[in-house]
Amino acid sequence: MARRVERKPVVAVGVTIVFFAWLYLPILAVALFSLNDKKSLSSFSGFSLRWYDDLVHNEALLDSLVASLQVAAAATLGSLVLGTMLALGLERIRGRRGNLIGAVTLLPLVTPEIVTGVAALLLFTGIGLKLSLTTVVLAEITFSIAYVTVIVRGRLAGIALEVEEAARDLGCTPFQAVRLVILPMLLPALLGAGLLVFALVFDDFVLAFFTTGVDPQPLPVRVYSSIRFGVSPAINAIGTLMLLASALLIVAALVLPRLLGRGTSSLDLITGGRR
Amino acid sequence: MSSAPTTNPSVTLRGLTKRFGGTTVVDHLDLDIESGEFFSLLGPSGCGKTTTLRMIAGFSDPTEGTILVGGEDVTSTPPHKRDVNTVFQSYALFEHLDVRRNVGFGLRRKGVDRSSIDKRVAEMLELVELGDRAKDKPSRLSGGQRQRVALARALINQPKVLLLDEPLAALDLKLRRAMQAELKSIQREVGITFLFVTHDQDEALSMSDRVAIMCDGVVEQCGTPEDVYERPTSVFAAGFIGTSNLMNGLWSDGCVSVSPTVSIPAPGHQGSADGDPVSVTVRPEKIWLTEHTPGMFRLPGTIVETSYHGATTQYVVSVGPDLTLTVLEQNLPRMRAEDRWSPGDRVEAGWLPEHTVVLR
Ligand SMILES: Nc1ncnc2c1ncn2[C@@H]1O[C@H](COP(=O)(O)OP(=O)(O)O)[C@@H](O)[C@H]1O
Ligand SMILES: [Mg+2]
Repeated sequence: MARRVERKPVVAVGVTIVFFAWLYLPILAVALFSLNDKKSLSSFSGFSLRWYDDLVHNEALLDSLVASLQVAAAATLGSLVLGTMLALGLERIRGRRGNLIGAVTLLPLVTPEIVTGVAALLLFTGIGLKLSLTTVVLAEITFSIAYVTVIVRGRLAGIALEVEEAARDLGCTPFQAVRLVILPMLLPALLGAGLLVFALVFDDFVLAFFTTGVDPQPLPVRVYSSIRFGVSPAINAIGTLMLLASALLIVAALVLPRLLGRGTSSLDLITGGRR
Repeated sequence: MSSAPTTNPSVTLRGLTKRFGGTTVVDHLDLDIESGEFFSLLGPSGCGKTTTLRMIAGFSDPTEGTILVGGEDVTSTPPHKRDVNTVFQSYALFEHLDVRRNVGFGLRRKGVDRSSIDKRVAEMLELVELGDRAKDKPSRLSGGQRQRVALARALINQPKVLLLDEPLAALDLKLRRAMQAELKSIQREVGITFLFVTHDQDEALSMSDRVAIMCDGVVEQCGTPEDVYERPTSVFAAGFIGTSNLMNGLWSDGCVSVSPTVSIPAPGHQGSADGDPVSVTVRPEKIWLTEHTPGMFRLPGTIVETSYHGATTQYVVSVGPDLTLTVLEQNLPRMRAEDRWSPGDRVEAGWLPEHTVVLR
């Protein structure tokens, strides 16, 4: 009688370990060398916070940090408003037309960012817009609307029309129905979408690179251009900080909506909506 | 019987029509629903019931026709200004508000002061037996409880008419039966007009003061449950409610000949000339296989099928070539198993002539 042996999936475990090592070792190296007390990027000679100190006194980098925060905040706000309006509108268009328009709104998710970047640059210079942080915000909004729309539509799915009608049935004008019922019900989804977009825009390089003006530049662009004049471990320091901030935001985007209430969060998009 | 003359109209529909593209979904509907009535719209899925309700509530604009609520023309009034409330099929509760706030929502919109809202919400929750769930979010309630919240949320506004779109369809059978009785008693207690949509004939018959049977956007018949069951006026109405023993034949000399050998007398029928094609129907429980009385019309036949249904036994009796009757017999206390007929038994199917209904 053949006995089935539960074999350990050695190969699968091995591949997984190699994969994560490949993914995270370089990032760990950046974090480690941000704490190096020498300028060397190859040998770790001792622990120090001098590069973080450097950073705090680097006006240009700090300006860029502020610029990136501003861009991310403005783009988040803009894409939340527009993306939510789009989702609410799409909910009303039934059938094939609705599906088609819905699919078109998802295009920015799959368009190579470099194409979006070049297109935005051509558009802005074409219509004579001076490149600045404003143009970065415009480009980032265009890119982020799709994320907001996907998340909000997931939450709306199916329930919105009858719930909105119930609100109007109970005495709400169309505007009050959205303000008093639809938006509060969407709150968890909006929070998740906002955090996600903020994290994505804050450290986005490609769009920012194509559409930014000269001064101040968003942080990723500034880091990139300063690397060309020699790598300072201060870059490691700021990289580590950005990594921590982004990770924190993403975790918040996934977890907060869940704590706030049931409903679709960005996590459901990843886990396929399993509860 | 058609609808009774209206003395105190709650809802009046005149020529109400809705077309989507080229298809007519509701076709020149005329209805008069009286104040305080429990009125059901009964019809198969897709016949335009929801569309009719949505037009009355104001969510959908009629293509033609007028809607009066409490005698007032509301055809072009937006939903929030109509004195009408709806219990939605999906309940459409506001998940971010607790039960209390869901129920008080309409009164808040109307600007009723806080303390009266609290008082009326408490009363309403008492009425639907949810007094202890006031602070729960809807997501914590069972299906039946959510349904009651939806009902309370609509009723508290004391609308001229309450629209209910298959409100019990999502509940399991036992709960549905319980809710039917409860809904009926609540309606009696509050005295508000209920316009109740359902595709369940038992539900419509047992709950309603009057029923309108709808088919393809048209009201086929409107009347009391007894009217529409005992005296159907159309083939559709007869066939949709209950089992009907529908037979086609020709009118001749006060009888309907449904086969060369079978001619059924229909003394009450008027308005057909000899040779007219008509249909004739008799309800299964009106037919007796034993204990015939003198005035009965009798047809000899053979039992072809016997099925036991607990409270009743159903027989299929062959009374001629390609002609069968379904007969429903109560399983009375004095009856024993061996008293039931078996396939092959020769019987006589008899019924009183007034139970023969002729449909043109
Ligand atoms: N918005 C719409 N656009 C096109 N057709 C519709 C729309 N709403 C309903 N219909 C059609 O109208 C018919 C009646 O629908 P409905 O009133 O929902 O029926 P019921 O409630 O009796 O089941 C159906 O065939 C349905 O497909
Ligand atoms: Mg329906």
